[in-house]
This record gives sequence, C-alpha cells and structure tokens, in this order.
Amino acid sequence: MSFLRIENVGMRFGGLQALDDVSFEVAKGSVLGLIGPNGSGKTTMMNVISGVYKPSAGRVQFAGKTIADVRTHDVCKLGIARTFQIVKPFASLTVRENVAVGAMYGREGSKRSTQQSFERSQELLEIVGLARVGDKAASDLTIPDRKRLEVAKALALDPDVLLLDEVMAGLNATEVDEAIDLIRTVNARGVTLIIVEHLMKAIMSVSTSVVVLAEGKKIAEGLPHEVVASPEVIKAYLGTRFAERQMQLDEIKREVQLAREVEPGAHA
Amino acid sequence: MAKTSAVLRKVGMGGITGNRYAFYISCAILAVLLVVPSLHNGYLENLFRGVLMFATLSLGWNIIGGYTGYVSFGNVVFFGVGATVSSVLWQHYQQQNIVLAIVLAAIVAALMALILGFPILRLKGHYFGIATLGIALATQEIISNIDWLGGGSGFTIRQAGFFSEYYYAMWAICVISLVATWFIARSKFGYALVAIRENEEAAAILGVDATKYKVIAWMISAMMAAAAGSVFAFANGFIDPPTSFAVDNNVFPIVMAILGGVGTVAGPLVGAFVLTAINETLWSKFPQIHTLFFGAVIVLVVLFLPRGILWLLAVRGGFRGFINSLKAYRV
Repeated sequence: MSFLRIENVGMRFGGLQALDDVSFEVAKGSVLGLIGPNGSGKTTMMNVISGVYKPSAGRVQFAGKTIADVRTHDVCKLGIARTFQIVKPFASLTVRENVAVGAMYGREGSKRSTQQSFERSQELLEIVGLARVGDKAASDLTIPDRKRLEVAKALALDPDVLLLDEVMAGLNATEVDEAIDLIRTVNARGVTLIIVEHLMKAIMSVSTSVVVLAEGKKIAEGLPHEVVASPEVIKAYLGTRFAERQMQLDEIKREVQLAREVEPGAHA
Repeated sequence: MAKTSAVLRKVGMGGITGNRYAFYISCAILAVLLVVPSLHNGYLENLFRGVLMFATLSLGWNIIGGYTGYVSFGNVVFFGVGATVSSVLWQHYQQQNIVLAIVLAAIVAALMALILGFPILRLKGHYFGIATLGIALATQEIISNIDWLGGGSGFTIRQAGFFSEYYYAMWAICVISLVATWFIARSKFGYALVAIRENEEAAAILGVDATKYKVIAWMISAMMAAAAGSVFAFANGFIDPPTSFAVDNNVFPIVMAILGGVGTVAGPLVGAFVLTAINETLWSKFPQIHTLFFGAVIVLVVLFLPRGILWLLAVRGGFRGFINSLKAYRV
C-alpha cells in the first residue's frame, strides 16, 4: 500500500538539474533515510515533498492529492510537516509561543482555542525536552535546543509524515544519542519519518529503509546495511578509485577465503 | 543576554501583549487626555486632539508595520481618504454626523486596502514601503484632480457641533484602536502576524496563510487611519489634499511607534504623547530652529532607545544595566 509516493520527480534551477527522475515510495509508519553526498539534491527533495518547491517534472502523491496542487500553507493540513536545515525560529517569541503558532494554524488548529494551543505546546515541549526553557526567547536557545524547537514546531501540526532535514548536524555525541531517542519516540507515536542526515550512525540505527541520491539521481534503495555496502553508493561517496580499491580488496579477501576452503589447515 | 531578554519579556517588549506597567501608563495618559476639554483651553484642546489623532494613526501603522513587519510609508493615504469622505459627506449631502463619517471612511479605506493589498503585499521589505509611498502620492494627485472630491482647492466644512465633540470623538477612536490592538495581540490572529514578521516562510509551513493575514492586518490599519482622518476633517473645518496628505501625518506616526516601542500595544500612544511634548517644548523655546533640535532628538532616540521608551521600564541595574541592554539589543 502506498502512503507517500514520489513519482518521477525532476527539479531544474536554470542550468542545474537538481533532481532527475527520482521515484520512491514511503510506507506508513516507516523511517526512510534519505542520504547522499553534498549537493545530491536531498534538501531539494524535502522542499518538493513539503510543497515549498513545485517540481518541474513528475509529482508527489499523498493522501490522494498531488502536493504541487496544494498551497504551501495548506500542505500541513494534509498531514505533512517539516523542519528546516537552517533553523527558522520566530526569534522574538518565546519557545512556548513558537510551538503554539504551529498548534494554532496546523491540521487541528481551527479546532483549538488560544488556550488549548498553549496547552498542546506545553505537552510537545515536554516530549522534546524543552519544557525547562519554555519561557525563554527562541533567540536565546543553544543550537541543539533550536533543533529540538524545530521538531516541536513540526509536531505541533499533528502530522502523519514528518520530514527532518539534518536535525543532528552540529550536535555532539551525547546530543546525537538524545536526538536518536527523540526520533524513535516520535516514530513510536505513529508518525512516518523521512530523515536527511549526513551522520551514518544515526541513519543506520533508526532507518527502516534508505534511499541514496547522487547528483540528483536515485542510485540505490533498500535496507540500510545493504545499501551502504553497494559499490555504487561507495563510489558516489568516496570516488571511483576508492570504490575500485575496495572491490579489489573484496576480491583478495574472497580468494583467500577460497584458498582456505581448498587447502584446509594450510594456514593453521 | 538571556536574562535581559527574560526581563524584557515581562514588560512585553520581547513579546507581543504588553504588560501591567504599560497598561497603567496608557490608562493614565488616556485619563489625562479625557479631562482636557473641561479646562476650556483652546490651545491645549487643539494640541491634545493632535496627540490623540497621531496616536490613532500610529496604532494603525503599528498593526502592519510593527506586528506584521511590513513597514508602510503610505498609511497617510487612508487618513486622506477618511478626511475626504467627511468633506464630501458635508459638501454634497449636508451630513455632519461624525459616527456616520467614521463608519463610511473606515469601510472605504478597508476596501481600498483589500484591493491594493493583494498585489502589493506580495512585495517584501523595502519594496513594499516604496509601493505604499507611490500609492500615497498617486492618491493625492487623483483626489486633487477630481472636483467632486474637493479637487485642488478643497472643501470648507462649517463646524456645527461644539468643538469638544470632535475631541471626544478622537479620544473614543483612539481608545477603540488601543483596545483592538490589545485583543489582536492576544489572539491567534496576532500570533500569525508576528510569525509572518519573524519568518514568513516558516510561518507558511506552520499553516499560516500569509497573504490573507497580511491583507486583513492592512485593512485594520487602514480603518484606524481613516477614522482619525474623518474626525480630523470636521475638527479642522477645511480639507484639501496638502492638508490631509501632509508629510507630517505620514512620518510622525512611524517615529512615534518607534519612540514608544514597535510591536507593543501601548508603544504608539506613549510615543505620540512624548513626541508631541518634545515637539511643543522645542517649538516654544526655539521657534526659529526647532526642527533642527527635533531632528537631533529623533536621531538620539534611534541610537539610544532603539526599542522604545517602554523598554526603559525593563532595564535593571542602573546606568551599567542600560549600557549592557543597549549592547545586547542594538538594532
């Protein structure tokens, strides 16, 4: 059953083909890792899925609707929410007010009063671990806390699908572990996730499947540990020479293995 | 820095709703202004009617320029349209009912903001400001060339009501504008406006229909300016385009909002009161060169009180605290 479907999406900026005929599907309740080297089109894909960009070819289908036909401020009403790689807090508002804006205008927003929006905001701040700084101005937050705030604002929209764009960049090891816990918590609440991340440790530990982009094209798709072992992916990340060396190394290993089997006890 | 901003929030400078002190100060100013007519002093009454008029204009500007962050340099257009509505009502229909004039002026201005808002509120930052300036100049020229609207020579309105009637009318629309701002600042609508000001793209992702709320904000802004203009026409007794579209009516409200505190409920009222007091003092002490001193005061305010007078309430720790806050909050 397809839940969110990306169909032959292409995105062109002048002479730059940022995305080229990319298709994949996201299953309900899954965690999809979207990876690729710098400039491979990951953030562009996030912008297309969240309706910030209209794709120049293909379409994104969600809940029976084509995202490009929906106005940007209505995308969250379909159940899609996102965070920004470069965080965009409402600097002069408090942390609690920031999240409350999402609760006021998101999917369930029209049903909530101002008071109820602030109550919802408080709940979410507790989930993401920001309750202690709820009354601070958003501009006074540390970088990890700003990332948490982005997540809380997105969750305030009551989404079915949450796009996380590099929420772990710039975090230290402990903070990354906390962020991974947060992602698991959110997923456990039934939210489907699409994660763009450079940090392989995070991708490997939370993703149920991985899509790899390189130069705007999809080059691999599958289970996390399978995808990272594929020569195509290694080539994209580390260059042709490294990939060839890696393959030669694999070959040698295989020959050694073979030799062991042919001559048992030879190395014993 | 974190501490400073927490304190600032308490007086509503970092936030949007204002605070207790700002509320007391507003009440005190409005109470003082209410007793002015009973002094039977024509000079004071004229002066303070000006304060109320500029406060209303400034409150109107604050909705679009302060809360929404779209700095309009052309809100005088709605003031001028309001004044024209009153003078046309008198000239052609022998109507001098203030309430009717205010309501009609507000409706005309709101419709104008609605029609103009959709194209020009798509412009960001300075471009919006330039467009509004253009609209103000164009509208003045249009009215100057239509005789039915008074043309270049304008209309004289015979003052039939007793003079203080207009004073009380101005006081009432100022209070209504202030209360409206207070309600807006606490509402979901107010939060949408501030979200648009802080980051329009992020606001849209959170479901805020930016175009819709910007246009509504400008309509409210226009209604306040038009109401002030319609009462001004009756009180002044004579309306022609240079009077109603005066540069002062355009610039003073912006300076007042900045002086009192941009994006705060009480800022414009406090700013209007203080700036008029400064202007009047300078004028009486230095009749020849008062504009020079006045300009210097404005520059000093921008340099040392960038967040407005209400901000001073939040500063703790004497002079050192003032300097530290200044460093943290330099615009």
